[in-house]
Order: sequence, then C-alpha cells, then structure tokens
Amino acid sequence: MASHGVPRVAGSGSRDTAKEQKKIQEYQSLVELVNAKISEREYTIEVLALTTKLLSKNPEYYTIWNHRRLILQHQFTEEPSTSETTEDNQLPPKQQRILDLISDDLRLLVGLLIEFPKCYWIWNYRRWLLEEAEQRLPTAVAVSFWQKELGLVSKMLARDERNFHGWSYRRTVVASLERLSEKSGARVSMVEDEFAYTTKMIYSGLKNFSAWHNRSKLIPRLLDERKADNVARRKMLDEELELIQTALTDPFNQSAWDYHAFLMGTISPNSSVETVIVRDFTNHDRVIYFEREMDRIKEMLQVDEDCKFIYLALLQYAATYLDIEGGNKYVTTREMRDWLAKLRELDTLRRGRWDDLESKLHL
Amino acid sequence: MSLVAGPGRGGHHQPALPDELELCVEKHVAYIKSLDTRKDEYEYWLTEHLRLNGLYWGLTALHLLGHPDALPRSEVIDFVMSCMHDNGGFSAAPGHDPHMLYTCSAVQILATLDAFGDLEAHVNGGKEKVARYIANLQDRDTGTFNGDGWGEKDTRFLFNALLALSLLGMMHLVDVQKGVEYVQSCANFDGGYGTGPGAESHAGQIYTCVGVLSITKRLDLVDKEKLGAWLSDRQLPNGGLNGRPEKKEDVCYSWWVGSSLAMIDRLHWIDQEKLSKFILQCQDSELGGFADRPGDMVDVFHTVFGLAGLSLMKHPGVREVDPIYCMPKDIINRVVGG
Repeated sequence: MASHGVPRVAGSGSRDTAKEQKKIQEYQSLVELVNAKISEREYTIEVLALTTKLLSKNPEYYTIWNHRRLILQHQFTEEPSTSETTEDNQLPPKQQRILDLISDDLRLLVGLLIEFPKCYWIWNYRRWLLEEAEQRLPTAVAVSFWQKELGLVSKMLARDERNFHGWSYRRTVVASLERLSEKSGARVSMVEDEFAYTTKMIYSGLKNFSAWHNRSKLIPRLLDERKADNVARRKMLDEELELIQTALTDPFNQSAWDYHAFLMGTISPNSSVETVIVRDFTNHDRVIYFEREMDRIKEMLQVDEDCKFIYLALLQYAATYLDIEGGNKYVTTREMRDWLAKLRELDTLRRGRWDDLESKLHL
Repeated sequence: MSLVAGPGRGGHHQPALPDELELCVEKHVAYIKSLDTRKDEYEYWLTEHLRLNGLYWGLTALHLLGHPDALPRSEVIDFVMSCMHDNGGFSAAPGHDPHMLYTCSAVQILATLDAFGDLEAHVNGGKEKVARYIANLQDRDTGTFNGDGWGEKDTRFLFNALLALSLLGMMHLVDVQKGVEYVQSCANFDGGYGTGPGAESHAGQIYTCVGVLSITKRLDLVDKEKLGAWLSDRQLPNGGLNGRPEKKEDVCYSWWVGSSLAMIDRLHWIDQEKLSKFILQCQDSELGGFADRPGDMVDVFHTVFGLAGLSLMKHPGVREVDPIYCMPKDIINRVVGG
C-alpha cells in the first residue's frame, strides 16, 4: 500500500531502467496470463500455482485472492482421480482431496504471511479457507485446522506483539474453536487459556497495550464462567491492581496507565464498565479503593516528580473521588490546582485539554 | 486517467529541517499530476489495486490545494466509469473485482466533480444501482457491512457504506439503526473503537466509527471526554500523531486522529501548531508530495491526509475540508447540505 518507513532515495539517475522494464514486463505478462485463464474459467491446479506466483510478488492484488477462491471452490467439487486416492485415508476420497487442498494452501501461505504480516487480504483469505473447511469437512478436521492456526497466530504475535491483525485473528480462532466444540456437543471455553496468554504477553512486554486491552475484554467473561461470587470478584480486582502496580514501576508506561484507568472505571459509579468486575461495592468500599490507589500514585512522585501521567491520574481519580464522597477532606482543591499546574508545566502539547479540565473541575 | 499511489523520487535527504516551513503548493500539484505518467516504474504496476483510491486521494488533494481543475474532468469520469461493474460496484481498476473500498472512492470522486448526472448518463438508474450494490452488502443481523461477496467485515466498510449512501441520498436503503448499534458494540473502555467487537482501539477505526455516528447524527453515543483524551494522547513530542499507544508517529494519523477530534469538538486538545510543523516537515520540498515521516518516500495517500490535516487546522492556502467525508467542505455543503 502506501509507503511506510521507506527512506527517500536519490534521484532517478540511480535506477537501473533496463532491469526495471524487464521486471515490469515479467510482472505484466504474469498478470495477463492469470486473468486470461480465469476469464476462460480454467480453474486448475496449474492456474492456482500461477496465482501463488503472482501473489508472492504482490499480495495486495485482492482480485487474485478472489481468483484463488474461485479455483479452489471449483476444485472442491471435482472428483479426485484414482491416483490421488489411497486406502489409508480416513475420509471419503472427495473430502480427503478437499482436506489436502486446504491444508496445502494454509501451509503455503505461512511464508507470505510472515513476509507481509500487515496485509489484510492474506489474513482474510486464511479465514475464508478455514470457513470452507468447516462447511465441507467433518467438524473434527476443522477443529484440528483451527488448532494449528492458534499455534501460527502465537508465532505471529511473538514476532510482532502489537500486530492488530494478529490479535483479531486470534479472537476469530478462539471463537471458532469454542463454537465448534459446542457443535460437537461438549462446549469447551478457552477464556482461561486466553487470559493466561495475555498474562504471558504482558510479562514479556509491560507496554503491550494490545494484551492489556484483550485482558479488559476477557475478565468479565472469565468471572461469569467461573461463576465467581462477590469474594472471588474482589480478589480478581485486587490481583489486577497488584499486577498493574508492577507495570507502573515505570511511570512513563502509557499502556499501564490506560489499564489502570480501566480498573478504576470498574469501581466508578456510572462508568461504562462499572459492574464488570465487582458488583457489590458500596460507596464506602469505593472510597477505600480510591484512597489506596491514590496513595500509591502519590508515592510514585517520590520516584519521579516529573512524570505527567502521575498528575493526570491523580486529577482524574480525584474528580471521581469527589463525586463519590464530596464531603471528604482527603482531596483538597489546592492540591488539585497544584497537580494541574504541574501537568501544564510538563505537558504543553495538550494545553487546551488542561484548560477544559480546569473549568470542568471548577479549579 | 489514473493516479498511482506509488512513491515519489525525492531528491536527497534533507540535511537539516528548517524551522519555518512553507507549503509547496505548486510542487504538490505537479507531483500529483505526474503520477499518471510514471508507467516506467515497477511500483506503478504493483499499485494497480489502488487506482481508484489513488484518484480520490489525488483529486481531493488538488481541491484542497486550490487547483480543482488540474486533472481533466472528463478523463477522470471516464476512468471511474470504466471501473463500474454490472452489479453496481466499482473495482480498483478495470478488470479487478468490485469492492466497497473502491465503490466508496468512486462515489466520492463523482460527488466532488458534481458528476452524478454523468453516472446517470452512462448507466440508466446508475445512482440507485450503486446504492443497491452497497445496501446489499449489509449484514442484516448485525448491521455491519461486508467488503464484498467474500465476507470480510470491518468497521471501515460500515463507514464507507454510510458515507457513500449519504452522498447518494440513499440512506433509506439500509438499516441505519442496526449500523449504529454495531458501532456501539465495538466501543472499548478507553472511549475508542476497533475493527469489530472486541478489537483494540485504533485511530483509523475510531475515525470510521465516529464518522458513522456523525453521519447518522448519533454523536451523543460517544464518550467524548474519554475518547478526546485518548486521541489527544496520540500526539508525540515532535508534534506528530501515532495511531495507538506506544507506536510511532505518521502523517496519516494527522487525519484519522485530527478529524475524529474535530468531529467531537476537541481539536484544541492537541498542539496544532506543532502538528502543522510536523506535517510540513514531511513534504518533499523539491519534487512534491508528503511522506509518513520526514525524509521518507512520499506517496499520494500521505499527501492527501497531510493536506487534509493541515486543512483541519486552517493552514493558510489550504481549502476547508469536511472532517467526516474528507472532501472539500463546500462540496459537502452542496451535496448533503450544510
């Protein structure tokens, strides 16, 4: 697509024009050949190989991915030749052939995915292949395909832990495995495994917001599935608050602050995530939690008094705190004014936001 | 007529970036006009799948630069029409498959050129045909849209659909309420939105989701304080914006973040002067065009979003852009009303 992070090169003089023209010619002939074969409905394995060749040169050429789908859809309905059938296969020959085609294709495309991990069309095409497997093959086979995908996506996320295509694909894989297990009669939830996976990812990179985000989405389901009572729910909140303290050892970790804000949101009245963790908080409980967290944050000032995130967190939590317990003297207006002044001094980019915050908090 | 999204052939690394930078209007106009003539470059052929997008990006950039007639109108329309398929959808280039992404660009180009009449002249009932292609891609159960018949779903397509349908005046063909509900199901605790339910907030997807809520006049559903804070946190010390926490800055986020802030009336939450300076540093001042970051290769994608970002901040010499449609404001006033 658009060029990202490609350094500007010297003028056209440095280009090998003859070589480039040859490259264009080869590419164009391949494009013409593939398109001609498809318009003649030549949906053969040979043409499939041609599309592979073309897509390796240009995986963004979305129409070629569609050609590939057409070829495979055609191949799926073909009767296998006798040479292709062997006795030790568990499936009827026709299904075995489909299995082989899908399995070959999935394997073949791994290299392309590793080379172009941000190409929408490749991820998307993989999803399609898996959906085809689900429709055309026994559930157990589809499950084993999806399980392999789980391994693949873990590898992809190990290479780039923030790749949002990867995270999104992972959610698809998990949802599909869960759905298929339901179909085969014994629903298996993967929420515990996925939660453990985010923990693992977080420990290998505390700034991995993608993992923190996924955690925020998994916790409500996890608690529901554990049938967690009020005690267990409070325990979860406490554990998460401990974990985030570890991440906040570096007070400049923006991702950690964002997740901390999520946790505080779960104990804030009228927030969009108010009841996702603890459900029986009284105002008194909230006051205790807010004071404890704000005390901890104030302590961070001793480590780094020039970290704007600390002042911002204090101000935001103070505002909610005052909503919960307006008559309390734990937070003073003077203190809040000092924090705001510090924030203005440390972060001049967002002056307009601090102005609005000042009037919102009546400071 | 087609504009490739290929790179520029910039001169040399600019040794030191000057503090005061001027917008090189003429250079950018020349760069965009040159894009169609670069068939001797491999990149031109590799980017064929972006032709119609490229044309929309280039045309919009030229309008914002005050050179609306720099591309021959009839050639542009002919090219757009050559990408139309019998089912009413448009493909990236002739011979490619129709898709929502290109259908949206086609409608934007035709609206910009006041050419819906030309569409009708080419295809009887053309407007409705295009609108029906889009409407048929709605998933009536969830409210979101597929990109094409192969089933990819993404909040980008929901936005493309409503954007194009509102320009065509055919919103009644789809279940708008369901679309709005779908956007809500993509909301995250940080106030942002992702590619679908459960997905991490991402500035590009936020633009599309807030865009949907703007077009449908449901901005009341946005947590403006939280979203505004998240979006303004995207500005980095060098003035540029990133798309997610802990990522690098990139000129295109000047648009995705900037327009989202503008739609929720929070553009003043970032330092606009510093952002303008960052964008101007990404220009190739010799041969025109903008890059993702200073010193990188330019392309027409970053060129339009850099210019649109400058326009949001009322940079002198750039025409006013509409923060929802990424098209000139006066054109949106003409087509959908002020």
